[in-house]
Amino acid sequence: MSTKVTAPSRPVTALSNADRLSLYYFMRLARECDAAIMKLYRQGKIVGGAYTGKGNEATAVGSAFALQKKDYLFPMHRDLGAHLVKGATVRSIFLQQLGRGNGPTGGRDGSGHYADPQLRIYGNVSHLAAMIPVAVGAALASSMKKEGAVVMNYIGDGGSNVGDFHEGLNMAAVMNLPLLLIVENNQYAYSTPNAKEFAAQRLSDRGVGYGIPAVTIDGTNVGLVYETCARAAERARRGEGPTLIEAVTMRMDGHSASDDASYVPAAMIEEWKHKDPIERWEKILTADRVLHEQNKKEMEAKIRDAIDDAVSFAEESMPPDGGKAAEGVFAP
Amino acid sequence: MARTEVIMPQMGESIAEGTIVKWYKKVGDRIRKDETILEISTDKVDSEIPSPAAGILVEILIKEQQTVPVRTVLAYIDAEGMGDGSHGPVVESPRPAAVPEPPPVQRDAAPREALPHRGRFYSPLVLNIARTEGVGMEDLERIPGTGEGGRVSKNDILRYVAARGSKPAAPHAGGAADARPPLPGNEILPMSNVMQKMAEHMVQSVRTSPHVSAVHEVDMSAVLRHRMEHTKAFEAANGFKLTFTPYIVDAVVKAIKKYPLINSSLDGDKIIRKSSINIGLAVAAENGLLVPVVRHAEAMNFLGLARAVNDLVVRTRNRKLVPDDVQGGTFTISNYGIFGTMIGTPIINQPQIAILGTGAVVKRPVVIADAIAIRSMAYFTLSFDHRIVDGALGGMFLAEIVRVLEELDPDMKA
Amino acid sequence: MPVSTYIDAIARGMWEEMERDPSVFLLGEDIGAYGGAFKATKGFQEHFGADRVIDTPLSEAAIIGAATGAALAGMRPVAEMQFADFVTCGFNQLVTNTAKIHYRWHIPVPMVVRLPTGGYIHGGPYHSASTEAWFFHVPGLKIVAPSTPADAKGLMKAAVRDDNPVLFFEFKYLYRRIRGEVPDGDHLVPIGRGVIRREGDDVTVITYGSTTHFAMEAADIVAQEDGIGTRIVDLRSLAPLDTEMILEAVRATGKVLIVHEAALTGGVGGEVAALIAEHAFTDLDAPIRRVCALDTPVPFAPALEEVVLPDTGRIVQAIRGLYRF
Repeated sequence: MSTKVTAPSRPVTALSNADRLSLYYFMRLARECDAAIMKLYRQGKIVGGAYTGKGNEATAVGSAFALQKKDYLFPMHRDLGAHLVKGATVRSIFLQQLGRGNGPTGGRDGSGHYADPQLRIYGNVSHLAAMIPVAVGAALASSMKKEGAVVMNYIGDGGSNVGDFHEGLNMAAVMNLPLLLIVENNQYAYSTPNAKEFAAQRLSDRGVGYGIPAVTIDGTNVGLVYETCARAAERARRGEGPTLIEAVTMRMDGHSASDDASYVPAAMIEEWKHKDPIERWEKILTADRVLHEQNKKEMEAKIRDAIDDAVSFAEESMPPDGGKAAEGVFAP
Repeated sequence: MARTEVIMPQMGESIAEGTIVKWYKKVGDRIRKDETILEISTDKVDSEIPSPAAGILVEILIKEQQTVPVRTVLAYIDAEGMGDGSHGPVVESPRPAAVPEPPPVQRDAAPREALPHRGRFYSPLVLNIARTEGVGMEDLERIPGTGEGGRVSKNDILRYVAARGSKPAAPHAGGAADARPPLPGNEILPMSNVMQKMAEHMVQSVRTSPHVSAVHEVDMSAVLRHRMEHTKAFEAANGFKLTFTPYIVDAVVKAIKKYPLINSSLDGDKIIRKSSINIGLAVAAENGLLVPVVRHAEAMNFLGLARAVNDLVVRTRNRKLVPDDVQGGTFTISNYGIFGTMIGTPIINQPQIAILGTGAVVKRPVVIADAIAIRSMAYFTLSFDHRIVDGALGGMFLAEIVRVLEELDPDMKA
Repeated sequence: MPVSTYIDAIARGMWEEMERDPSVFLLGEDIGAYGGAFKATKGFQEHFGADRVIDTPLSEAAIIGAATGAALAGMRPVAEMQFADFVTCGFNQLVTNTAKIHYRWHIPVPMVVRLPTGGYIHGGPYHSASTEAWFFHVPGLKIVAPSTPADAKGLMKAAVRDDNPVLFFEFKYLYRRIRGEVPDGDHLVPIGRGVIRREGDDVTVITYGSTTHFAMEAADIVAQEDGIGTRIVDLRSLAPLDTEMILEAVRATGKVLIVHEAALTGGVGGEVAALIAEHAFTDLDAPIRRVCALDTPVPFAPALEEVVLPDTGRIVQAIRGLYRF
């Protein structure tokens, strides 16, 4: 099995201005959606738990941007940007969060725990690493059907220590399956910093153990994330097997709405604020005159309208019918 | 004007309450949607709360430093006109998805089994067989048991039933003797099986049907005249006396034919209208209240009814009723008038939906064409189940019975 | 009608389904080139190819998870756990992903997990376990447990064709000890339906798996020696249970004995007893009794195993006791 990673046929330098603006748009949309979800949670309109992917937008958006329609996406709770790039509507996100009867799971599960086979999005379970073997299975089926598709799955620096990570990645490697596993290393697993989670110097070092190529990249650089994933995807499509990608970012908010992350040193937050993925890309696009006041304002208005529309639509939709709660355990 | 509640959110799955740290706005302030209006503190995290709506903060219910449960209303915001950003018809804070009603629990309709009696244990199956086969407690106690410890087993009771042959049975339930000692002077009397059954039935009937009683007076003159004219010939031809009962049964049957809904029962939310009219006649027998039934009364003429009624009365007196005789009634008549009672309020015989009580026939002064006449009058009471029968139907049905009796054809064949 | 062993009937069922539907494939440890630890899949890889008979690494979680993912993506996998005891390593995948997906996502998960189960083979604590009760309690998983070769083939075919996850418990004790007639061709046994193995009017025995055969022996003994007529219900499916058959069989005799090889406390027998007590209370002429394994891990030494696991003798005693009650 080759561990050489060649340049992709469509590197970031070949992206059109429209594509680059798309990357910017999706990152902004993801961040605004997350903020809206937080607001609704604090207003008591979303119940249970609420999570944001603040700081993770480049990883989520850049990676999903390398996918084609036939590819499979297994995102996590801080990858709202990936859902949106893959085609999930803003309305479906809020219907799901507000647990409405006409939402993707009819209120039966929350947050990103939904699946849309049309878009080939399969959401996470709370036992995050448990999705890795399932992603491997999808990759197995896809390769049996000779679809030429890839399966993109994510896991965190914490979740990468669960047994399923090992079993799933090992199986994908030995069976040469088209899996892209992206480890989102945002420095903290809830309140536990990297130093208490693993002894490896870098999580990409684990790739050697499975016999697959692995790389650690700056997860706040959306262009780099895109290109790295595009390469890995093409490798997989060529039948050269899985790739492990460690994207290094910072979790800018608490673990969830009920965590103020007071255990994170203030200096660390300050340092990462300067590496905000959206601001970085905005600077580049502005310097290249691709983004300016006019289209930026239009984009912001479009985002605001989309979210406002989705929130009112969801608020006006009905909760699920309690009388049907016992149905649907089995397929007929 | 739409009013929006500001509620204490649940900031984490295990959080049950929150404390208001600081209000950033005061009553009367204009607020934009999503603008921070207060800060709260919980066990896990402190949080700024954005306003759920735009408008004027009109009332603050909870003060700073107060701790309240999750979902408590903290303040009210009134919308002003269309405002900026106020959305949709949201007035109240959204309720969590409706908690589904638990599926209705199937209640077993079988009555409680009797308690063990005199040290012998009877299994549910044995008691079940005893009930359906009409084996009373006294008989059960005498059955030899081949089960463990001398227990009466299923085979034991089935053997007994086979050897005994068929037996008339108003179903018996075992009676448990009261175990508490009587107060001095008080006497403990056991309730017979029939009495217990009656007691259970009456309680259940009242609990099941909302009873309404309508009273109508009847001028029995036409009936009396007819009877007087035909009684001698009738007795000679049939060998028994012509009583009032067949007249009343006949009138009831005719009235039911006009108002067939009376001949029904209720099953859940479905009305089962019965095709045959089986009239039960409440009879005070030696061992208690029995209700033998004239089956298919709709197919009988007056003479047929008279014969059927007499047959039942005789067999009741001689304790020769069979289970079929007391089952399947669709309407019941209770003639308490024989005890002198003028007006009664009978209890419906479940699962029927109405019962006719007939009072004593007495001569009374009545007004006819503005003059006073003496007539033989009686009060009839119709008690009916107001789940199905309303006052109009009940009244009309009762009036029809009265009309048939009062307009009796003097030449009707008897 | 052809006669085959229990294990051959299972193999036959899988073979026919793989011929019939190209989306059916097998995955598990040592199932391909080696033909399986019990040789259940001998000859399969040669015939169907390594693409459809996949030798996986030793990774129960990955096996079950991958089967789930493949089912989501349109295939119909049959995954093997080498011993039912090892399903514990894949427990999370089964109950977190496999069982819950349809309820949450309305997407069918058509997969079968084969579990060589049970004792009486001197396997000790980790090769003899009965694990069905754990999954019996998880909504979203179907469970079958055939006791004859004909039912093994019929239920395997039905399990593969079911659009839901089915746990297929195979009793290793029966693999080569039991031979029986197995109908040729498309013989299907519906999931959720039991079968009356023997008619009788005095005592009803409700059982499944290996103990079905012990119950049959016991019924012969008490018929000959005591003149007792035993009605035997072989459940065949545990989830869903054939409630109607259970209640009818209780009504026929009024006395019921539940027998299973799995441990007594928290076993499937408790649920069956509760169902009977709730829905057939007035048909009972005796308390509901159970003959099950003692509440211990299954020990290795035969002198211990035969005390812990139920056998014909204990069933005979229990039938007599109920008859005399």
